[in-house]
Amino acid sequence: MHALALALLLLALSPFLWLVLMSFKTNAEIFRFPPRLLFDATLANYAALWTSEFRNSFANSLVVSVVSTALSLLIGVPAAYALSRWTTRAGGTVTLWILASRMAPPIAFTIPYFLVYRHLELLDTWTGLIIIYLTFNLSLVIWMMRPFYDQLPRSLEEAAWIDGATMWQGFHRIILPLSGPGLAATAILCFLFAWNDFFFALILTRTEAMTAPVAVVNFMNYEGWEWGRIAAGGTMIMLPVLVFSFVVRRYLVHGLTGGALKG
Amino acid sequence: MRAPSRRAVLRGSVGLSALASGVLAAPHVNAQGGKPYAGTTINGSCFQTTYFEYLKNYFPQFEEKTGIKVNFNMQAFPVYNQRTDLELSTKGSALDVINCTFIYSGRWIGAGWMTNLDPFTKDAKYTPASWDPEDFAGGPQSAMKNAKGETFGYTWEAGAMILGAARYDLIEKAGLGLPKTFDELTKVCDAIHNKDNVAAFTADKLHHWNWIPYLMGSGGAVFKDPPDNLTPTLNTPPAASSAEWYANLLIKYGPDGILSYSDDQSMRSQMSGRANIRTQAITWMVPLAKHDESVVKKTVRYGLMPEGPKGNFPGSNSHGLGIPAGSKKKEAAWEFIKWALSRETIAMVVKNHGYPSVCRMSVIKSPEFKEVLTLNGQDVAALFLEVLQLGGKTGYMKYRTVPVYPQVGDKINKAMERIATKQQAAPEAMKQAQAEAIQDLQKAGIKVDT
Repeated sequence: MHALALALLLLALSPFLWLVLMSFKTNAEIFRFPPRLLFDATLANYAALWTSEFRNSFANSLVVSVVSTALSLLIGVPAAYALSRWTTRAGGTVTLWILASRMAPPIAFTIPYFLVYRHLELLDTWTGLIIIYLTFNLSLVIWMMRPFYDQLPRSLEEAAWIDGATMWQGFHRIILPLSGPGLAATAILCFLFAWNDFFFALILTRTEAMTAPVAVVNFMNYEGWEWGRIAAGGTMIMLPVLVFSFVVRRYLVHGLTGGALKG
Repeated sequence: MRAPSRRAVLRGSVGLSALASGVLAAPHVNAQGGKPYAGTTINGSCFQTTYFEYLKNYFPQFEEKTGIKVNFNMQAFPVYNQRTDLELSTKGSALDVINCTFIYSGRWIGAGWMTNLDPFTKDAKYTPASWDPEDFAGGPQSAMKNAKGETFGYTWEAGAMILGAARYDLIEKAGLGLPKTFDELTKVCDAIHNKDNVAAFTADKLHHWNWIPYLMGSGGAVFKDPPDNLTPTLNTPPAASSAEWYANLLIKYGPDGILSYSDDQSMRSQMSGRANIRTQAITWMVPLAKHDESVVKKTVRYGLMPEGPKGNFPGSNSHGLGIPAGSKKKEAAWEFIKWALSRETIAMVVKNHGYPSVCRMSVIKSPEFKEVLTLNGQDVAALFLEVLQLGGKTGYMKYRTVPVYPQVGDKINKAMERIATKQQAAPEAMKQAQAEAIQDLQKAGIKVDT
């Protein structure tokens, strides 16, 4: 059974392993046929990334992903809590409308966003990208977090209120700590959306705010592709997601399933 | 003595201010010293290519000469086209100099998104006669013109399709020479396939570029009479039989995985000695003889694209520099284009960097260019020139610059994949491609014959 699991794991991970191995090869080694598993590894591709514009793009990706994730949680989590506790029929309608930003494919928003951004001089800026990711992530945060709060008994915060806590204190001190797994799962999904986005970054950036996924494509030159750098760039792009997932892995599984069934 | 009146004081102050501003302004005007656009910053963009990588080294010369600062940004081919198409279609002013990409030239010029450059070239105030716009090769340059013959770009790159045999030694060993006809190509492939573990033929998955010369050589065409009549002719018997022949060439003589090959993978398959013959633009052929990583430097030989029963139609394309209609710094942008594509600049890039695909005839015919393109003793410059002239003569490449070609080309690619993977017989696949192409054309509001 373990052997089967291991085999499946290897099968699932083989494309990633291939990419990582490729990042340590020279172009000549990459195109060697048949390919060799043992070869003289080189860090030249990573060194080349460090001296190219990729370094700035990587930093851009980190900044816009972290900031947009933090802002989405900061705004979305209280909103989800408020909508959970709002018992009128309008609450459901509002929640549904919040999903509107996810109801059309991103390409449908492209030209309007591009024109507005050009007018507001937000093209090729961190702010521009953060606003876009915030817009799309807010609905995700609200829709993921609301079931968590629906699950938590109201009596908890009512007890806090009786003890003299304000509504904000009740939320901050009682409810928020209880929704840790949900927050972790939501944060990672928000981060992934912003981190992996190619389309909006392609359209709304040029050079200054260009993110890592777009920068990797720039290694596909007209007269030839820089395979080693593409692989090294791809590996670098995977790295923060792996680290982030590793850090919050304890909460992740519970967070994704929690709230699926209401008490 | 009478005290000066308030009016006199005011008049005097104005006079003094005017004098002072004149005195202060004078050095600025003089400092420009024949540099009317000094202090202007222009933004240029192109896809990543060696020509501009090389040219960037000389930007300081241009900036010194004109006082114009150049921000030139390069992106991957698809990224550049996507961004520029959006920028142009929304009449933006963010870019002052752009590359007019061959496959988009019809769309960008036809839609009025580019600036007519004739007023610049025809006015001695902007362009000296010595710049000589007629020096640009006619074939490549035709893609930069509209139906009225007005020019919207000047070409910096001309792709001319030739045949490259990475392992000519294997062909020689089989007692054969470079194939000159389609039949000879099949015969040579038969004789050399898998000899020394080398596949006989290779190509990339851009069939709407690679296959068309074979289609035309067999008497077929993509459209009835481009650009006037864009009725597709993909379901004709010559189109179906040519598609079948080409698909067979790929699967019978190509290396494993050929159907998914990108341009670069195909070039690498030749450079690493895994595949032998390819018909492709010269830009991807020269590295076989010059690239550091090529293992076929000594065995590569070049020839003209093989000829079909109906003639020889090697693909040729071109990319040019132009000015977006929305640019607010057109004069300064023209200064840049004038410099970047002057005879002297192009000759310098050829001489110092060996760039092989230029468009100025005076440079192509120069001894320096011949020297750069003499590969393994072969005069490849002559082959390049011959293809450019062929393309310019009859205008058979017009099919490729029509605005809807990217969509129609996509249908051709898919049809070829279906044939090569035996999902469909060639007549059915081409019939489907024809129907889908008509649908695309009608969606774009183009009339087709019924």
